[in-house]
Amino acid sequence: MADRTSLIDALLPQTQCTRCGFPACRPYAEAIDRGEADIDRCPPGGEDGVVALATLLGRATKPLDPAYGLEAPPTVAVIDEAVCIGCTKCIQACPVDAIVGAARHMHTIVADECTGCELCIAPCPVDCIAMVPVAAAPLPRERVLARAAHARKRYEARRGRLDTGDDDSLQRIADKAPDVVAQPVAVPISRNAVLEAIARGRARRQQGPST
Amino acid sequence: MAETIRVEVAYAEPQRQFLRALEVPAGTTLEQAIGASGLAEAFGIDVDALEAGIWSKRRDRGSVLADGDRVELYRPLVVDPKEARRRRAVKRTG
Repeated sequence: MADRTSLIDALLPQTQCTRCGFPACRPYAEAIDRGEADIDRCPPGGEDGVVALATLLGRATKPLDPAYGLEAPPTVAVIDEAVCIGCTKCIQACPVDAIVGAARHMHTIVADECTGCELCIAPCPVDCIAMVPVAAAPLPRERVLARAAHARKRYEARRGRLDTGDDDSLQRIADKAPDVVAQPVAVPISRNAVLEAIARGRARRQQGPST
Repeated sequence: MAETIRVEVAYAEPQRQFLRALEVPAGTTLEQAIGASGLAEAFGIDVDALEAGIWSKRRDRGSVLADGDRVELYRPLVVDPKEARRRRAVKRTG
């Protein structure tokens, strides 16, 4: 028997888009369960989503609150290959691992995996990502839920991977150069040190060009 | 006993993307997973000409995979980032 938060979460579209004001779908589900957030905050879930939540919770349905966005046909992100510089920012932002790419290599959206959350748009330093519609109208409820189940798995797998500190880059550096990692890597740079360096440079220039 | 792990192999172009889940024996290398995925045959591409990695980090093809790894093949950039930056700067001032 699933707990009520999970039942609520099961009705959310799992875009992880944060439009509801929560960091992901699950925290929004928790807030609804605690009675701290209303059921009208999820534009990707649409009016049908609000109805489903109302039914589950035995409440009256209501229109989506436009303050959190409007219901719209589904979109996916597309990268302009003539502009992408391979910075990996979008890859880090994607909650469902829908982007394939590596540093200084092309980044590409896997359209079937993209939930249309738009979280990759803002981090891109060269504005090379656009959202394009993939249907003329909002998806039927059963498609939304099928996609949601898949996106939830992706999101949870990603969370699991990042939480376990699977990033073994430090270990690989240690393998190559043990003496480097023996030292603490992060050396704090104080603001004073920067200001002192600027002052030194200025003093040098005032003395005239050195020979 | 043969222990198996679940991995994926991914390759993406703007118009078509390849993403296949595989169950492979523990100890399988990146290279072997690319071969087992059938990517080269499905897309008609030379997988040996591309850089490969796991979860956005380039890796040797002999690297042994772990459960949950996504083996990825990376295409080169179209523009040189430095050249692109220069062009953007010109556009902004010009």
